[in-house]
Amino acid sequence: MRIIKLKKDNLSPFLEIISVEADLWAPVQKGDKHVFKVVDDFSKVELNTTRTILPPRKIFLPPTFSMFNISEKGYKEDLSHIKKRILFGIHPCDIHGLLILDNLFKQAYLDPYYLEARKNTLILGLSCWPDEYCFAKSTNTHIIEEGFDLFFTDLKDFFLVWIGSSQGDDLIRLKPELFDENLTDKDIQTYINWHTERDKAYKWSINFTVLPDLIELKYMDPLWEKLGNSCLACGSCTNVCPTCNCYNIMDKQFLGGKDGKMIRHWDACTLEEYSEVAGGENFRKKRSDRLKLWYTHKLQAYISKYGKPSCVGCGRCIATCPVDINVRTVGKALLGEEEDAFWVRLNMEVTK
Amino acid sequence: MKKISVDHLARVEGSGGISATIDGKVVTDVKFSIYEGPRLVERLTVGKTPEEVVNIVPRICAICTISHKYAALRAMENALSIKVSTKVSLLRDLMHLGEMIESHSLHIYYLTLPDYVGFPSAIAMASKFELEVKVALEMKEFGNHIMKTASGRYIHGENPVIGGFGKFPTREELIWIRSRAIQFMPFILKTVSLFCELDYPDCPEEDTVYACCHPDQNKYGLVGDEIMLSTGEIINKDDYKSLTNEFVVSHSYAKHSRYREKPYSVGALARVNNLGEKLKGQAGKMYKKYFNPRWRRNPLFNNAAQALEILYAFERIPKSVDKMLRLSSSPIAEYTKKEGKGTGIVEAPRGLLIHSYEISDGLVSYTDLITPTAQNAEDIERYCYIAAQKLLEAGDEDKIKDRMDLVVRAYDPCISCSAHMAEVKKAPAEDWKAKLAAIKEKAPPMFVGVGNRNRSDDGAGVELALELKKLGVCDVYLESELEKHRILWEYKDLRPLILFDAVDFKEAPGKVTLLPLNYVIDKTRLSHKILPFISMQMRYKHLKNAYMLGIQPESIEEGTKISRPVRQAILKVLKEIKN
Amino acid sequence: MEKKIKDKLKIGIYELTGCAGDALLILDCEKELVDIFKAADIQSFLMAKSDNIDGELDVAFVEGSVSTEREKKELLDIRKRAKTVVAIGICACFGGIQAAFLDKKDWEKNFKKVYGDNKMTHTKPLQSKPIDAYIKVDYYLPGCPIDKEQFLSTFNRILRGNPPELYRFPVCVECKWNENDCLLNKDILCLGPVTRAGCGSICINHNLPCVGCWGPVENANLTSEFQLLREKGFDSDFIKKKMANFSGTGIADFLGELKGEKR
Repeated sequence: MRIIKLKKDNLSPFLEIISVEADLWAPVQKGDKHVFKVVDDFSKVELNTTRTILPPRKIFLPPTFSMFNISEKGYKEDLSHIKKRILFGIHPCDIHGLLILDNLFKQAYLDPYYLEARKNTLILGLSCWPDEYCFAKSTNTHIIEEGFDLFFTDLKDFFLVWIGSSQGDDLIRLKPELFDENLTDKDIQTYINWHTERDKAYKWSINFTVLPDLIELKYMDPLWEKLGNSCLACGSCTNVCPTCNCYNIMDKQFLGGKDGKMIRHWDACTLEEYSEVAGGENFRKKRSDRLKLWYTHKLQAYISKYGKPSCVGCGRCIATCPVDINVRTVGKALLGEEEDAFWVRLNMEVTK
Repeated sequence: MKKISVDHLARVEGSGGISATIDGKVVTDVKFSIYEGPRLVERLTVGKTPEEVVNIVPRICAICTISHKYAALRAMENALSIKVSTKVSLLRDLMHLGEMIESHSLHIYYLTLPDYVGFPSAIAMASKFELEVKVALEMKEFGNHIMKTASGRYIHGENPVIGGFGKFPTREELIWIRSRAIQFMPFILKTVSLFCELDYPDCPEEDTVYACCHPDQNKYGLVGDEIMLSTGEIINKDDYKSLTNEFVVSHSYAKHSRYREKPYSVGALARVNNLGEKLKGQAGKMYKKYFNPRWRRNPLFNNAAQALEILYAFERIPKSVDKMLRLSSSPIAEYTKKEGKGTGIVEAPRGLLIHSYEISDGLVSYTDLITPTAQNAEDIERYCYIAAQKLLEAGDEDKIKDRMDLVVRAYDPCISCSAHMAEVKKAPAEDWKAKLAAIKEKAPPMFVGVGNRNRSDDGAGVELALELKKLGVCDVYLESELEKHRILWEYKDLRPLILFDAVDFKEAPGKVTLLPLNYVIDKTRLSHKILPFISMQMRYKHLKNAYMLGIQPESIEEGTKISRPVRQAILKVLKEIKN
Repeated sequence: MEKKIKDKLKIGIYELTGCAGDALLILDCEKELVDIFKAADIQSFLMAKSDNIDGELDVAFVEGSVSTEREKKELLDIRKRAKTVVAIGICACFGGIQAAFLDKKDWEKNFKKVYGDNKMTHTKPLQSKPIDAYIKVDYYLPGCPIDKEQFLSTFNRILRGNPPELYRFPVCVECKWNENDCLLNKDILCLGPVTRAGCGSICINHNLPCVGCWGPVENANLTSEFQLLREKGFDSDFIKKKMANFSGTGIADFLGELKGEKR
């Protein structure tokens, strides 16, 4: 893989050139957090971000979109929301998230919406620095070797740019003079130092290898009831997870002879309706059962099929769940370690 | 006896009815009824934080939601000594103008115009007035769009909060509103002409008092800190009770209001009557072109006034937006005060809206909400009575129902203003005996005999009183004794007062009719000495509790002989009173 | 192709006690309103038309709470005439803001405070209740007011003989779709997790917390929300009031339990 150098000042001109024929999605500020958004003002692009509120999967499969237009003649696939896009600023863990989604949506049934959007989107990754929630090193998703067209490592004064695909190379060729092909020994040493420091910056870790067994062993553990007592069933853990992919569909019909639509929207197995079937029977009426499903999928079932967890260590569930039910506290609880979490305190309050 | 009633008033926002009871040739009762149940909003706000109350009170009424929000914010900010930035005031004004456009255009095109062009609904009307219906829809939609942009939602938006806004609209959103407003102008001018040139019937036409907010800076406006009356008086917002004097009436859970013992009207017509001279631009020109003295006497012109106000709003929007674009957004103003009293007044589309609160220890401890429809209720009944009686006299009984409908709808009553509303049962059809029994049941009435004993049957009232006195009935007076018994007009307890008199209802001689006294005054049927007493000295609440028991005379020629049928009537009445 | 009137479903839209916001919202469907009138035989819609009939109905949409004896009668009559009854808005679904006085005595006391001892000569006022306190309701369309899209899609589905398809999850789901930062995590009292979605998380989109105006979501975890807010330093009574503002009878059981516990 070819690696070249880009001066910090040259980033904006580069983004401007490449976004002429595609929407450029990049992290921008929203309140005191960040979100991926289409940008025209390149000064708004944030380089020093941690996780965005929603993972980048929203760019490929928006929370709601129309799948079909339905008329008396039949139905027609609606791919109108898919455009040529460049996604800049995606971190290694989130690229891993996309690779996991690739596995799922390329299984037995190909998902045309996801795959078409994937095909039309160039991935320009960006290095990151962990905060107190990140644990990508535990999931081995803190570095990335595939799944990008370009990858930018931010070394303060300059970027090292990995060229991951011929399409990535084409972007460079739009204005090669912005880049420097010659790396010095000093540049390489800067990269090595950065790498070592970054590895040290991960503040906590968890041993994922034992979790599948623990999930099996503790399937009937009272832990799940405790979690269920506190879970708000708000679906936020699912919505913010880069690897969650369940969806629901709804018919939208219109009056006046207008075409109907079939709307696809994100679903969450933590929501009550998820396990309800025709006739009103619900297989997981209890919140505890639904949480168990979520964690079994992330930490056990996916591992047995693909050899790695369906968790990329982004820390979004930790940053988001208002009642502290997240991979860290649940993982630690499975390991028998005491964690300070709202759900622990609530159960103490309830049993008091 | 028959009753004409519009049981379900259609095409008004909310559910209500109006009924007129007709006894031969006389309208004996008109009642404007609200079928809304009691919601006790004034009570359920107590004990809540000012912020919660601001969330709750707009739910009083969906169509005035912005006005309720605005009035509540003004009241709370007065109570808590909060000053908001100019940009906040401008955005509040903008959302308010949006509501004015939305509500007025819905009202004049959807709810009113079908009446004047003979269709049951705007949808049905669309077959003949396709363009009008379509553009009116767009105009209404534009009003909705402004409300949504500024407040967050079409209805019950929560973006306006104490101290400011959660979020300001973007520059692009404001510029779009500005240019869209300008695009509409040709249609708006047509709207004004259409509604100012409608052939409004000249019945009912009668004077009333008009009240509205007195805007700052001597301009036409929809908010202010004072109330102005068509009599020239100005009332500070904190003294609003001297205007409204709300009271419970037994036939309606909607409290009624009156000013200085007289009903008054609020709404677009009140604003244009009080402030029209101050309209500028195209609205000013149109005002000069169309305004005439009938507007001051005829509630049906409210529709013309509403059209004029739509024009005013459309002319103001671009100016407001321009000012807003020059200002930067301000954060929500914070406050520390935990106690205070405050009143906020704004003009809802259908008139003066008053919110008043007391806050103690950070929680609302007292709420008083006075809605436009509560204030208009008395005048709605009065004008309906006038219309019904006039039409009855002109032999147009079949027109009464539609005309009353037209009058009520002209007021654009927002019947869901149910801060104090409850179901109202229509007055059952009764003859004078049943009515008399009902009056007697409330409290022992006082009686006054009125008339001239030297004009044969005209002496019937006095005759009746004298007979009663002979029977030893208490509290019976003669007209000639009124000076002596001033107590009659100053009585504190609400004892009913019944006047006896010979009244020419153009009925068969000896027919007895019992009806509210104010109906008789309105018709100036009373020619006796008692008239100045009633109109000058009697308090309105007493007047509302006073009745006329009229006997149709056969003759009022000179002489002292009372005719046979009248004599028989006197005996019948005596018997009933004794029972 | 436009259907003949006899083939069209007979629809009635009724308003009981409330702000009339749901009926108004139907009027606010400016562009679709003509289509609505074309697609169905609108037998009764007081706010929109004057030639209303009280006959047999396929579907009745009922807004508002039952707050008088007269409304109760009207509602029972609607149920008799209609094959399907849809409650629209939180007043019809849960009783709305006016159902705040859950205790009968409390309600009577407050009723007296507003109306005094005046003898009301007509029908009896009733403590405000949702319509399912008196009749069987087939579908519930919550909202304060209802959402235009949701109403139109429900209306359409019912016209085609399908049950409505509504969001049955809490506001948080839509809030996340709109990529808002969680206000609870900023220690702001937000009722998103216990409130029914459908509004598009409009308040949080405007940086303001959810006030719960769409009423409680099915099986909301009220205990956890309550304890979470307590832990964040909010006063128990304040949280209870806040939860009760728009939920009417919807969370009466929970509030009753709390009262029993006397925390």
